[in-house]
Amino acid sequence: MPTQATANGSPTIHLRAVDGYIITPDGASIYIWGYRDETGRAAQLPGPTIIVNQGDTVTIKLTNELRENVSLMFPGQNGVFRLTNRGAVPVGPIYENGRLVSLTDYVPPRGTVIYQFVASQPGTYIYHSGTEINKQVPMGLYGVIIVRPAGFDPLDPATWSAYGPETDTEFDREYLLVVAEIDPVLHEAVRLGKPYRPSTYRPRYWTINGRCAPDTMLPDRATYLPHQPYGSMIMAEPGERVLIRYIGAGCDAHPLHPHGNHTRVVALDGRLLRNGTQDLSHKHFTVLVGPGQTYDQIFQWDGLGYDPVTNPIPTPIPNLRNQAIGDVGWTMWSGSPYLGQKGDIPIGVTSLNVTGEYYFMLHSHSEPQITNWGEFPGGMMTMIGIFPVGTLGPEVGRLQRNSRANSTRERR
Amino acid sequence: MTFVQVRYGATDSFITMPDGSVHYIFGFVDLTGVPENEIFARRGKATLLAPLLEVRVGDRVELTLTNLGMPQRPDLDDSHTIHWHGFPNQISLWDGVPETSIAVPVGRDFIYYYEPKDPGTYMYHCHFEPVEHIQMGMVGPLIARPADYNPANPLFKTAYGAGTGTEFDREYFLLISELDPVAHEQVHRVQEFDWSEYRPAYWLINGRAYPDTLHTAPDGDLSQQPYHSLIQANAGEKVLLRFINLGFEEHAITILGLPLRIIGRDAQLLRGLHGEDLSHWRDVLYFGAGQTVDVIIEPQQPALYPLFNRGYHKNTNAGATPGGMMTHITVYPAGTLPPQPGPGF
Ligand SMILES: [Cu+2]
Ligand SMILES: [Cu+2]
Repeated sequence: MPTQATANGSPTIHLRAVDGYIITPDGASIYIWGYRDETGRAAQLPGPTIIVNQGDTVTIKLTNELRENVSLMFPGQNGVFRLTNRGAVPVGPIYENGRLVSLTDYVPPRGTVIYQFVASQPGTYIYHSGTEINKQVPMGLYGVIIVRPAGFDPLDPATWSAYGPETDTEFDREYLLVVAEIDPVLHEAVRLGKPYRPSTYRPRYWTINGRCAPDTMLPDRATYLPHQPYGSMIMAEPGERVLIRYIGAGCDAHPLHPHGNHTRVVALDGRLLRNGTQDLSHKHFTVLVGPGQTYDQIFQWDGLGYDPVTNPIPTPIPNLRNQAIGDVGWTMWSGSPYLGQKGDIPIGVTSLNVTGEYYFMLHSHSEPQITNWGEFPGGMMTMIGIFPVGTLGPEVGRLQRNSRANSTRERR
Repeated sequence: MTFVQVRYGATDSFITMPDGSVHYIFGFVDLTGVPENEIFARRGKATLLAPLLEVRVGDRVELTLTNLGMPQRPDLDDSHTIHWHGFPNQISLWDGVPETSIAVPVGRDFIYYYEPKDPGTYMYHCHFEPVEHIQMGMVGPLIARPADYNPANPLFKTAYGAGTGTEFDREYFLLISELDPVAHEQVHRVQEFDWSEYRPAYWLINGRAYPDTLHTAPDGDLSQQPYHSLIQANAGEKVLLRFINLGFEEHAITILGLPLRIIGRDAQLLRGLHGEDLSHWRDVLYFGAGQTVDVIIEPQQPALYPLFNRGYHKNTNAGATPGGMMTHITVYPAGTLPPQPGPGF
């Protein structure tokens, strides 16, 4: 799935700013602008995830295939340069005829610009366009940069942490959740080349990784969603340390609430919550993710241990014919109260449960945001699946080169 | 360690705003101890808020939900659930999410079971079509007491346990939310409401708008809104305020003249991984939907202190001022008020 840097410490990533379409579960097709890498043909939402190592000198080429100036900015990275044939020059705001035309060095249509910076700090960062920002960023020109801490080895789980040894950020699996909004009026105006007044911004769709629920729960690279390649179903086994990275790519704040347990917020905006030896991490059941913020968190689910043999649940389970199951046409419940067991599901209801796993919802608690244009269910909602011990392969919840998701190349 | 059994009914009713407007709600009604042959008479008697749920770490709690149906909407066969929001390590069967377990149809019961493990301030609400059912009023406060809680001993009358620096003399919960009258009207009239058009016109504390927040007497017009929010204390006392945001917006709460010591968030004592003290002072408490915050104030001077929303347009009732998310803290000379019998009002 992600664009993984090679291990030589000076990765080069080539992005193109292009247009394309995404689809929503209510059947809308929405025109977007976005980034793609060498594997794609059209814009993807969000842009390709870039994974580099702490200390890498990162070179990012941007080719502009849109009809107006576009750029890349890298909030949280210090010392960003543009490479020219006269050498490296620091990027900065661009004024033309007294008007601010871009927050950073841009590239005109059909051109290519080369940015470079040293990824000095591990953590979770955003990248997005710095040009016509109130249009281009909501249109989809955004993505994520993950900087691995020094010593991180994708092949050695003992080295997996968000911020390095002794930072209490070790993890077993990791997931990215990039949240944003869509005002379809903006997208249609851009498609038709018509004016749009940013002050009328009124989102009707709310996305995680470019998708609206229930599509959020589909796997990575679902063929049905060719330009929204990243799923956001979180899967783990009891007790595993799950690193969840929230990234606010939109213009609004989103109170993200996982069921099942608190998350321990270990870092904000790519900075470890620590002051010398003093730990400043804290557990929350709802994290308010503002525009541009990134939150790194460790989630663990342990459970009350209701084992069917040793610890039967203490209440009677009613006849399921007397209860409502699958009102939305499907259920993710197993039919059993016990982890790892399956029970009967009423006829006519589709069960999406695989092996008796538990599902816990993760969603915006600003509940109009869990609709698709006002209709529940939808929007900024996904699930956390807690699977029985030993049932999840090591490839689940991995962001690395040659992961299952990354190995599937799109057919040209 | 106690075995706690409570029973709530899901049904509907009406609430009143200070401008006299009446709004249709869904909600819960307390059925604990109500004989079976009197249950039906509680239809149409939902309250905003739903009853305060008080439990203690170590308790075993059985909560029966009975779906009484909606007398005002006989066409509506919606199921309901109860979700203990923020409650850690629940199994999915009792998490109250219809898509991942079951929901309770009209005329049926279901027993939820909980073993509180962590003290703090939580909330509960229906999770069936939650955007509609939460806005319509199926919300309530939930307090989990520490295992060593003992209101008779000041060292053990704490929010998070003895030795955590969270001792208090009095406590109040303030569940804040909003009301979009168009949404309530559409639901009452069996019309579709586009939730992306949500625009509240009333801002509530414990289900009421100012000045009803100050109205302490039981009152006919407010019969379905049982909780006022007039906070009273003696000078020098520590007052624990448990804030719960069950609206859909962020809110900025401030108390003119009283700084806020923030001691807990989201039912977690503010401590770092190695016990570091992360409590802090604020003048404005800014927090989002689905968050809870525990605050201790220590007023030293007898006076009237206004509590309000610093987003000033939220101190209105359908545009009229003053109103909305506002109440008072009345502080008396030391020794004036007797000890508080229980949380709240
Ligand atoms: Cu409900
Ligand atoms: Cu909730």
